[in-house]
Amino acid sequence: MIRAMIVINNQGKPRLSKFYNYTPVDQQHQVIRSIYSVLCLQPENVSNFIEGGSILGPDSRLVYKLFATLYFIFVFDSSENELAMFDLIQVYVETLEKCFSNVCELDIVLNYSKMHTILDEMILGGQVVETNSEKVMQAVEEISKLEKVTAATKFISKSTSLLWG
Amino acid sequence: MALSGMRGLSVFISDVRNCRNKEQERLRVDKELGNIRTRFKNEKGLTPYEKKKYVWKMLYIYMLGYDVDFGHMEAVSLISAPKYPEKQVGYIVTSCLLNENHDFLRLAINAVRNDIIGRNETFQCLALTLVGNIGGREFAESLAPDVQKLLISSSCRPLVRKKAALCLLRLFRKNSDILNVDGWSDRMAQLLDERDLGVLTSSVSLFVALVSNNHEAYWNCLPKCVKVMERLARNQDIPQEYTYYGIPSPWLQVKTMRALQYFPTVEDPTIRRALFEVLQRILMGTDVVKNVNKNNASHAVLFEALALVMHLDSEKEMMSQCVALLGKFIAVREPNIRYLGLENMTRMLMVTDVHEIIKRHQAQIITSLKDPDISIRRRSLDLLYGMCDVSNAKDIVEELLQYLATADFAMREELALKAAILAEKFAPDLSWYVDVILQLIDKAGDFVSDDIWFRVVQFVTNNEDLQPYAALKAREYLDKPAIHETMVKVSAYLLGEYSHLLARRPGCSPKEIFSIIHEKLPTVSTPTIPILLTTYAKILMHSQPADPELQNQIWAVYSKYESCIDAEIQQRAVEYLALSRKGEALVDILAEMPKFPERESSLIKKAEDTEADTAELSAIKLRTQQQTSNALVLTDQRPANGAPQVSQLGMVMVPSTSNVDQNTVDQRVTQSNGTLSAVDPQLPVQDHAPAGDILGDLLSPLAIEGPPSVSPQSELNGVPSYEGIPGANDALALAHVGDQESTVKPIGDIAERFHALCLKDSGVLYEDPYVQIGIKAEWRGHQGRMVLFLGNKNTAPLDSVQAIILSPSHLKSDLSLVPEVIPPRAQVQCPLEVVNLRPSRDVAVLDFSYKFGTYLVNNKLRIPAVLSKFLQPVQVSAEEFFPQWRSLPGPPLKLQEVVRGVTPMSLGEMANLFNSLRLMVCPGLDPNACNLVASSTFYSENTRGMLCLVRVETDPADRTQLRMTVASGDPTLTFELKEFIKEHLVSIPTGGKPPAPVAQQPQPTNPPIASSDPGALLAGLL
Repeated sequence: MIRAMIVINNQGKPRLSKFYNYTPVDQQHQVIRSIYSVLCLQPENVSNFIEGGSILGPDSRLVYKLFATLYFIFVFDSSENELAMFDLIQVYVETLEKCFSNVCELDIVLNYSKMHTILDEMILGGQVVETNSEKVMQAVEEISKLEKVTAATKFISKSTSLLWG
Repeated sequence: MALSGMRGLSVFISDVRNCRNKEQERLRVDKELGNIRTRFKNEKGLTPYEKKKYVWKMLYIYMLGYDVDFGHMEAVSLISAPKYPEKQVGYIVTSCLLNENHDFLRLAINAVRNDIIGRNETFQCLALTLVGNIGGREFAESLAPDVQKLLISSSCRPLVRKKAALCLLRLFRKNSDILNVDGWSDRMAQLLDERDLGVLTSSVSLFVALVSNNHEAYWNCLPKCVKVMERLARNQDIPQEYTYYGIPSPWLQVKTMRALQYFPTVEDPTIRRALFEVLQRILMGTDVVKNVNKNNASHAVLFEALALVMHLDSEKEMMSQCVALLGKFIAVREPNIRYLGLENMTRMLMVTDVHEIIKRHQAQIITSLKDPDISIRRRSLDLLYGMCDVSNAKDIVEELLQYLATADFAMREELALKAAILAEKFAPDLSWYVDVILQLIDKAGDFVSDDIWFRVVQFVTNNEDLQPYAALKAREYLDKPAIHETMVKVSAYLLGEYSHLLARRPGCSPKEIFSIIHEKLPTVSTPTIPILLTTYAKILMHSQPADPELQNQIWAVYSKYESCIDAEIQQRAVEYLALSRKGEALVDILAEMPKFPERESSLIKKAEDTEADTAELSAIKLRTQQQTSNALVLTDQRPANGAPQVSQLGMVMVPSTSNVDQNTVDQRVTQSNGTLSAVDPQLPVQDHAPAGDILGDLLSPLAIEGPPSVSPQSELNGVPSYEGIPGANDALALAHVGDQESTVKPIGDIAERFHALCLKDSGVLYEDPYVQIGIKAEWRGHQGRMVLFLGNKNTAPLDSVQAIILSPSHLKSDLSLVPEVIPPRAQVQCPLEVVNLRPSRDVAVLDFSYKFGTYLVNNKLRIPAVLSKFLQPVQVSAEEFFPQWRSLPGPPLKLQEVVRGVTPMSLGEMANLFNSLRLMVCPGLDPNACNLVASSTFYSENTRGMLCLVRVETDPADRTQLRMTVASGDPTLTFELKEFIKEHLVSIPTGGKPPAPVAQQPQPTNPPIASSDPGALLAGLL
């Protein structure tokens, strides 16, 4: 199963984190910090897999992908396929892209709730629930409509794009 | 108002982002938390929107790493809000802030259930998501039927159903009773017919969890999985939006193939063929393309297909195709694929017999050792370590040594250890081994543990031929300007013992040796000085009558250290000074070290196994040379689940079998010769020997050509047959029973042998004058692959050989068919597969019997598939250890016991014992030097990998007692492990009572072959 989904920026600030096994908050923070300390030292053009045994306990692996200023990270166990997890990051980011068009870090910071909504449409209880970003978008838009009935959420302008920046 | 609420959140987030340092951030967060707290207190004035705003802020604060220990009630109460926005926030925040053990969550069960059974689909989705993420046991009990209903309902939208599937998966994990196995397997099969790929993906995830728990109940779903694979592979009925970069849902393909790996095999030939067609298409049809994302997706599918092919143990041809593919991958530019290629090759080493094909890629694998990516370097080191054998050890070890000089600091220790183990395991000659270890010390002295240099010393001491060479090498290293302290130790020791063997060489006079060693003394640490002092004494001893000048120099050193503050140094100085004044008598007192008894150490243990193997091998080589016939025996792999299978002939024990076919032919000839001379005077005169001989001799060659069914072994699958007429033979045999008991006594102590095998992976399990049973094992996670070597030591065949494994309930075992007859002086290999289901100390028993002449010898032997074999040593650092240790609060997960009656041993010996039990001792974790901390991961099918931590507190004053604490995440595991360790600490077995071989009521020999038996017909013809 997927144990956690984490987004941190290149300064180590968490932007989104969700753990699918109960993890106390200080431990979550500890995990995020140690992941960052490994990732920030990764040279370019190396594989995107890191054995997580020393950071995350036995039988855990980590796959990450860097988009502009943000690391997208999945932590999972050996029951998942590494490359499939890697693709899932791509799907998540493509979905963000559809949602915000030219998505950047600021979108993610300020539309924190949206990030959660999208994630929940894709991963449930550590399992992939939907891999089709069209379908995810449909669900998210439905939810937005319902939200807008009472609250008009405005997206805030952005600086650099993630996918293209 | 809503707008302002969200703006408030944005303002807060911006504020936090603008904080220049952690301190400012904390102040800002504390201020906000204080604010929220006060607002929540006067709840009356709080609108739902304000509540929503504050709860989001809390969630944001929580993500930043601050504990939010209030407001949970507010979050939960939002769940029952009537309108969507509040309800949504309530659900999202609750699932982030709370966990299944929270009391507040219980309060929400009713509200959640109302949403699930209600008509509003968006509410259903919210509720299912919450339960799927954090639902606990109580949720499982009260919600499972409702969630099931949603999943199988035809009126629900896919959006709801796919969430219901995963929600049910969570509930099933919390309480597996919620799904009634019998009824559910049919429903599951129906779900796998689902057309909507979203629902299907979730259903397959659910299915994976179910089959991993119990595949037996879901055989009916296997064909459906293959159907799904066919549908995807042929791209039939796949909506455009589910193709990802042109590939039909790679995730679904991966999951489905993962599910198939939980079935031990695919029996039905039609289905098997269909599946292999799909797999073949994946293996052949995947190309490396420009688009990175497409590449990743197609290779995700490809690697999963490889794993499935390995699992299905398909035909050799397909396997070599896989290795070829992997060989391609490890050379591509894309680092992810290189990484996975190496990893899968390593897995392949374990799974199937493709060693030779993998070796062809050795050069490329060695290149990967220099890859810029450390993850890849690690993988290639693992792979090289795994693929090393006698034939390539020299190349690989020398590569490792070369790499050591430039390797990352983080990898050196592992590298040094692996090089040392391989050098010892596969040394073609001992001088090479000495070279390797000395180079290792020279290049990476800091990473060479004492174990390693002790081992060299043992080897040199025990091999006289090696001594001058080793002394010379040590002398050469001393000429180097700066050498590692370990090198000083080992060369001082070696030169002290053996420098006199070099005396004629230039620069090797006692005086020169002394001065070059003594030069190093100022640079070494206190523990090394006593070694040097001993060396000086040895030099003096070897040069009796001593050169007065040298003697004075050495005495001066001793006098200097006579008042040393270190007791060890002082004692040695005083004693050596006194002794060396005795002149000639010194020769007797300080004589050369005697040979070491064979000793085990953590490092050596592994290596010794292979030494035994090579010894065994060479003995067999000898045997085959002396007696060319009959060295070949066949074992039939038991056909898997009765499915017709091409027989796999286990070709046995012909070393260097490059020309097996030739051998076979030769042997067939000699064998038939042997048959003719069945009245060989060497053979003990026995009624049935010749018959058995003919049977054995004839059937062996027959079995090579014919299908396995012709061999008479088929009856062996269970209960022995008692056909035949007990007649005169019987009476005859009875007369011998008394003799028999006194003659067939096991050689060596069975209990001791078993115990030794608990600590290592190969060796002799049992031996008597007729039979030797060796065992060799490989362990990986919760699975083990053992091979039993049944050797007939005599010149007459062994008849009625039977081997049955009696497994305790926690082990699944599968022993391949054992041939009924072992020809003279031949050895049979019988693979035995073991799967560990859960932690237990019970052991499997091998019920082994054979007939020699008229007597049946029967032994019940414990199989060393013990708890520790399913442990994987793991080094943990203090940062990992202590949080784990604390998170396991007490019984039943953490158990403590004072153990008395412990076999007294030093801490070092105990550490060795723990390492042999695959509990890795982690030095330095416990500040008290009398304590010992170890860690390991336990694997079983039920628990998967589970970390185990052990702490032992010893009392230096009383070595017979200690306090032991064992902790793990599973109560049974904790208990069993504790008891297991205790057994090993308390009783190093002392002979015990070897289960006396039971000379049973002699049984009639095999029926003199029914006439329908083709073997018998053939025998008759001859």
